Amino acid sequence: MLILSRKVEEYIIIGDSIKVRILGIQDGQVKLGIDAPKEIKIYRSELYDQIQNENMEAAKVEKEFISKAARLLRKDSAEEAGTMHPKGERT
Amino acid sequence: MKFTNRQFGEMSFEETHVLNVPEGIIGFGEYKKYLIVDDEDSQPFRWLVSLEDPDLNFALISPDLIVEKFQSSVFNDADVTVFCLVALKEPWTTSTMNLRSPFVIDNKSRVGRQMILEDESLSMQYPLFTRFSKTAG
Repeated sequence: MLILSRKVEEYIIIGDSIKVRILGIQDGQVKLGIDAPKEIKIYRSELYDQIQNENMEAAKVEKEFISKAARLLRKDSAEEAGTMHPKGERT
Repeated sequence: MKFTNRQFGEMSFEETHVLNVPEGIIGFGEYKKYLIVDDEDSQPFRWLVSLEDPDLNFALISPDLIVEKFQSSVFNDADVTVFCLVALKEPWTTSTMNLRSPFVIDNKSRVGRQMILEDESLSMQYPLFTRFSKTAG
């Protein structure tokens, strides 16, 4: 890992088109200003990590569960359409 | 052409049905070719199935089935197909879908991409069955 020290108002350049400037440091927080082309996606890492975790969970989903969930969804939409099942049938 | 998936076994497909996902699904960036698979028992869910890893598949749901007019409110009239990835939670009736980062297919180019929407109020764990999740919101 490349480690650089920068002062407030200094910046680094990544590639030809990405500039990261240190705007300020206060109470243990660093404020960054980032200039990058629109197609470069920039996220806080915790957001990315959270999506990755959700995706990991999503990748474990089995057909068996989806058929159960599908039956429930179809039942719900049938009820919304006015073809009510007896209340006791809801599981 | 043929491929194998752990849940669907050996399947054949047409080259023209291949969905290119150049950036991959977040966390699974190395896999870039998928197929949308329909399975009768799964409807209205559909499956996003990797052509490159037989163990990799995701269940998809059209968000509009759960959240009224979600697609038009976020994507206006864009010629796209929007799906959310479904995650199993315990108990299964509290399972969720990810509204914040939907899987979006450009219908013309057949390129798919998992987007990250700016709206922070969109839940990554939106309940599929709202009536079982009243307290969880």
